[in-house]
Amino acid sequence: MRRASIWIFLACLCIPSFALYRGEIYSEDLRIQPLRDGRVSTTFSFITVLEGAVPRNPKALGQLDESQHYALFPLTLGQILREYAITELHLTLNAGKWNYDNWGHPHEAGVGTGAELWAWMGASEVTTVDERWSGLRNALSGLFCASLGSLDSRRTLSPTVAFPLSGSTPTFAPHELRHASLPSESVCTENLTPFLKLLPCKSHAGLAALLNPQKVFDADWHGMGIHVTWKEDTGVELKLTLQAVFNPVRTSAGKRRDWNLQSLFDRSIERSCPVASSSSVTVILPEEKGYQITPENPAHINGLVIYDLSSSSNFTIPSNIAMYWPSEHSFQYPLPPLTPVTPLSVKRTIHGTTQTRGVLSISVTNNSPQEISAGYLEMMPALLTLWMHTLKVEINSQIRSDLLSGLKYHPPSPQSNDRLSPSMLQAVLTIPPKTTLKLSMEVNKAFLKYTEHPPDAMRGWDLPGAVFFPLPQSSHDTSSSYDWERIYTPTLLVDLPTPDFSMPYNVIILSCTLMTLIFGSIFNLLTRKWVVVEIQE
Amino acid sequence: MRFQRLPQACLLLLTCFMAWAVGSSDSTASTGERAADFFGRHDSGSGHTNNWAVLVCASRYWFNYRHMANALGMYRTVKRLGIPDSNIILMLADDVACNARNKFAGSVYAEAGRHLDLYGENIEVDYRGYEVTVENFIRLLTGRVDPSMPRSKRLLTDDRSNIFVYMTGHGGNEFLKFQDQEEISAFDIADAFEQMWQKKRYNEILFMIDTCQANTMYSQSYSPNILATGSSQIDENSYSYENDNDIGVSVIDSYTHYVLKFMEGINKTSQTSMQDLFDSYDPVKIYSHPGIRSDLFRRPLDKTLITDFFGGVAQAEVFPLQDIVGSSNHHDNGPSAPTTRKPDTPSVPVVLSTTVISLPRLTGETHDWDNWWKEVRKWTSIFVVGCLVSWISFVR
Repeated sequence: MRRASIWIFLACLCIPSFALYRGEIYSEDLRIQPLRDGRVSTTFSFITVLEGAVPRNPKALGQLDESQHYALFPLTLGQILREYAITELHLTLNAGKWNYDNWGHPHEAGVGTGAELWAWMGASEVTTVDERWSGLRNALSGLFCASLGSLDSRRTLSPTVAFPLSGSTPTFAPHELRHASLPSESVCTENLTPFLKLLPCKSHAGLAALLNPQKVFDADWHGMGIHVTWKEDTGVELKLTLQAVFNPVRTSAGKRRDWNLQSLFDRSIERSCPVASSSSVTVILPEEKGYQITPENPAHINGLVIYDLSSSSNFTIPSNIAMYWPSEHSFQYPLPPLTPVTPLSVKRTIHGTTQTRGVLSISVTNNSPQEISAGYLEMMPALLTLWMHTLKVEINSQIRSDLLSGLKYHPPSPQSNDRLSPSMLQAVLTIPPKTTLKLSMEVNKAFLKYTEHPPDAMRGWDLPGAVFFPLPQSSHDTSSSYDWERIYTPTLLVDLPTPDFSMPYNVIILSCTLMTLIFGSIFNLLTRKWVVVEIQE
Repeated sequence: MRFQRLPQACLLLLTCFMAWAVGSSDSTASTGERAADFFGRHDSGSGHTNNWAVLVCASRYWFNYRHMANALGMYRTVKRLGIPDSNIILMLADDVACNARNKFAGSVYAEAGRHLDLYGENIEVDYRGYEVTVENFIRLLTGRVDPSMPRSKRLLTDDRSNIFVYMTGHGGNEFLKFQDQEEISAFDIADAFEQMWQKKRYNEILFMIDTCQANTMYSQSYSPNILATGSSQIDENSYSYENDNDIGVSVIDSYTHYVLKFMEGINKTSQTSMQDLFDSYDPVKIYSHPGIRSDLFRRPLDKTLITDFFGGVAQAEVFPLQDIVGSSNHHDNGPSAPTTRKPDTPSVPVVLSTTVISLPRLTGETHDWDNWWKEVRKWTSIFVVGCLVSWISFVR
């Protein structure tokens, strides 16, 4: 009897802590894919789901918010989401150019170079969307040690077609999108440190233990992403992703493409994260044969090998997953011409020899045997002025204006703070099978004020990449049009007219000297009294 | 059978313990002192309760690798000596760790052998790249920032904060260049410090600067409690210490190298004084004449610990009641002190003034009543525990 009462007492003590854990699911996954150019693509995704949670209604922003008790969900991020009533948030910080032709589509679509932030927020009378957008930027810049605070009205747009809500649409308020990108932002350890602190096991256990900054930032391409979405049937989902494309051929001694977890990350998974409901490593097997993978796993499903690392499975930890090509002495790069892996390949350049005008040209190649319709989005800071009347669409030097439709252009508009918003160009391109479409337009380069130049003005200005996106499914369209995701072109570097920064000083010094000389002599002439001094002897 | 007498023994022990506790509680007069002795500061009279560090690398570009390494070396030192990341504002004007020219991605080294990675795996750079400007630096010091500025980018100091300000970059006579674009002058820094003093944003400042003609940078300061030191005197350059052949550029400046070398021997409980650090300066090794300015500083340098600026304070502060009643400014160390604030500006923190308001309730007759109530509670709890023990023994 007494025993029972003690147990009941203990149970009562434990109830609040169990209540906290109810409805939070954490799972982690690592996808490894050997690529045809000898590189290895790795994608970590850490997903925390707050079951049944609903984004904050922006109309209730003036009132006291419900208390936030999270067991697995990061409180620092949760506070920001509640404070600014964010329904959906996507932040990516990437370095390098994603090579679509050789690497295919990434597992996470957001691979634009630099920082990209976009958020969907409900409109309300309490605070405007723009005020909350500014607060969100600053809060995230503090959280992730990135210069996101500079994503101001000079870089903010609302391209709703290319960046739709990926979750459900809440009914409580009409939603608005804010999107901004900063192509010159660098990514380094100070961004990874706060990223790891958002994980329930930090970097102590589970897959995150592999994330060694010295190796990740040495990769040919690396990037991290924070994605918060809301789905009506599950709740708020936080997905933290980290992608890196390693080059074992470069880093290994014998120019071989063999890889294992130890050689890629210089770390191993010592123990699994105890709060993870699932933890797995998935290896996507290459199409050609000749490889071997250890440890042997009988579970080959559709060219995938899945290793379950969660504590419930009988997988022995620590373990090393390795893939090697025993018959290959050193890796031979596949000979060109290579057919691109993705159906669309895009090249974007800016030509012109002068510092005042140039030509922006884009060539889009359809590698598939079907016709592809793609949305084309250009978000151009006011550094460049696009001239719409010079827009040309060509195939084999023949003008084909019929392939361009749905053209929308918003010229740069002056903002309240005397700055120009970016211009937005959106169009639909129809690319016939196995052809290359060329699109070009003339641009004018801005003449900036002396004080608007960055410290390294001679380096040039980074322009964000263009975005190609699949169009929303219409009723009569082919089914194949939606099997790809957004494509980002590499960023461009544009050379604007740069002043000689020492010139103002020269001018000031010269004019001051002249002034003193002229003024001084005239003053002297006017005020000096000319007298004859007689020297007494 | 053997344990049948155990409850009784327990009861006896408990009674003995209670008797001892009652007896010892009579000496309440000394508890306050003992608590103050246990929790209080054992420093050299600095009077600070928190430590902050502002570390600025003002130069951009890869060839200024050594300036980044200077600032990061200081970052590692203050972090090792106990200042948390939340109290360190690190400003790096360029990203050398993940620079395409850096062969060792994600690492910054400050010595030719590349033994110690200064970037590490846990680093928070608060201002980086284009954000490192003169405006942002002065806004940070004086606290004039946008309301939406995150906490990690603010200097949340008070009049009990000791601040270590370290700056490095390219400079000249009374100026330091930021990103090769703009300059901060010695007058700007002096005025910013004065504004901080008037806003009660610091208790003491250690200003350290490593640049050419560095000693001119603190020549204009006029606010109290500033201890300043620089790497080289007027018309004198500061030189780099050594190159690393794999990195390809100089990795650290000479002055900072010797300061960091001295700091290697310091730990959190070290009693080494600032005078010892200044005595370790060797102009022959440093290739320049480091300067010290202590005329604004009120404490003797040999009584000023290194850890007063480089270490984090971990002690709590115990205020005896009578001190609060007769509260006065903690800066009032007698009329002779040149740093004394005006007496009509009490600097007692807000928390303390609430205690002052609640004081009358504790004094007078209510004091006796409180003591009586304490006794009642004590004996009731003893009675309840005794009942429980006896109940358990009877049930057995």
